[in-house]
Amino acid sequence: MDRKERVAFLVEHFGNPRHKGVLEGADVRMPGGSPECGGSVVVYLKGDGNGGIDGLTWTGQGDTISMGATSVIVERVRDEGLGLQEVLDLDYERFMDSIGRDVIGSRTRNATLGLSTIKSAARKYLKDHAKDAANRAGAGTA
Amino acid sequence: MSEQQIEQKGYAHPEALVSTDWVAEHLDDLENVRIVESDEDVLLYEVGHIPNAVKIDWVEDLNDPVVRDYLDPEKFARLMGEKGIGPDTKVVFYGDKNNWWATYALWVFRLFGHDNVAIMDGGRVKWEAEGREMTQEVPSVPAAEYPTPTRDDSAIRAFKADVEKHVQANGQMIDVRSPGEYSGELLHMPDYPQEGALRGGHIPGAANVPWARAAREDGTFKSADELKEIYEGEAGLSGGDEVVAYCRIGERSSHTWFVLEYLLGYDNVRNYDGSWTEWGNSVGAPIER
Repeated sequence: MDRKERVAFLVEHFGNPRHKGVLEGADVRMPGGSPECGGSVVVYLKGDGNGGIDGLTWTGQGDTISMGATSVIVERVRDEGLGLQEVLDLDYERFMDSIGRDVIGSRTRNATLGLSTIKSAARKYLKDHAKDAANRAGAGTA
Repeated sequence: MSEQQIEQKGYAHPEALVSTDWVAEHLDDLENVRIVESDEDVLLYEVGHIPNAVKIDWVEDLNDPVVRDYLDPEKFARLMGEKGIGPDTKVVFYGDKNNWWATYALWVFRLFGHDNVAIMDGGRVKWEAEGREMTQEVPSVPAAEYPTPTRDDSAIRAFKADVEKHVQANGQMIDVRSPGEYSGELLHMPDYPQEGALRGGHIPGAANVPWARAAREDGTFKSADELKEIYEGEAGLSGGDEVVAYCRIGERSSHTWFVLEYLLGYDNVRNYDGSWTEWGNSVGAPIER
């Protein structure tokens, strides 16, 4: 893809966002960004209790880069069936390379808004889940 | 929309706005006029823009890449040459979000003494809503010679030391961020602590008028009377006094600066671009909540 095609790719995702909407029954609802500047998203994540992801959607508003890139990464995580740890292992730099540095320019925060919020959601899920497991273990020994 | 409608809004400097009609009539006057699109959404220009408009990106073009400051005079002259802007060219800015970034670019142009500037009232949204022509074609503009200007920060830009003096003198100040940021409830954007501040609240004595209140639904500016009601009636500002406007990094406040300076004709308005990211991180700086 040349720059024009890379721009068109993001613009298409911006115009036809994938998996956008509230996920009923989500385990985690994670906000990120700012509606005043660049954009804001809310990521909804449902885990399968075993390190996998059962559901992942998002809502948000903002510029073409932040919204387009969020749509791209949510679609990618779902299509590739990534688990929580694999999401946490995703590399910001490689993601931005895939979107196109010549498109993003210095708007790196906009480009990674979706990915960083998905990671936050995954971290929250793991933390909550670890707490639940600890509580259950604690209850068992009492 | 015509010039007559702008005249009717009763501004102190109606010439600081042009209508979409005016822009449509002057699109091809590449010798004397340059239409400049400046957006927050930096890809909008690529999606489609006003024919013969050039793009100026507030981050890549107007900021120094290393030091927290605007570009230097040599770079400004070079940028003007590339965009086909001479020292006498009339530069008309337009953009997304109620011309938020267009006014920011205009403010930076003024730092370099480029005073022949105007904003297209209503911005990109209005042009689109009127079903006017848009293109993806990047125009070839005639190259221009722009003598290296002097950047004068004293008249319309405030630094932290200026603001400290202003606070001590009980000067008038306007915080144009959202009420949550003003009250200190919102410290920074979640996940983006590097863009925030360690402390929340506002500079003592500042009134709060979120910047977008100056705009109507269709993206055009409110009339002078409506603006006076907000800035003078509610916020207690007055045109003869020195006023400092600020936000988070000085972009939203450049919009309010434009309103006070041009539309209401205030004599002495400065934009504090260090804004909350500087003040809220400064050791010992007084804060009100």
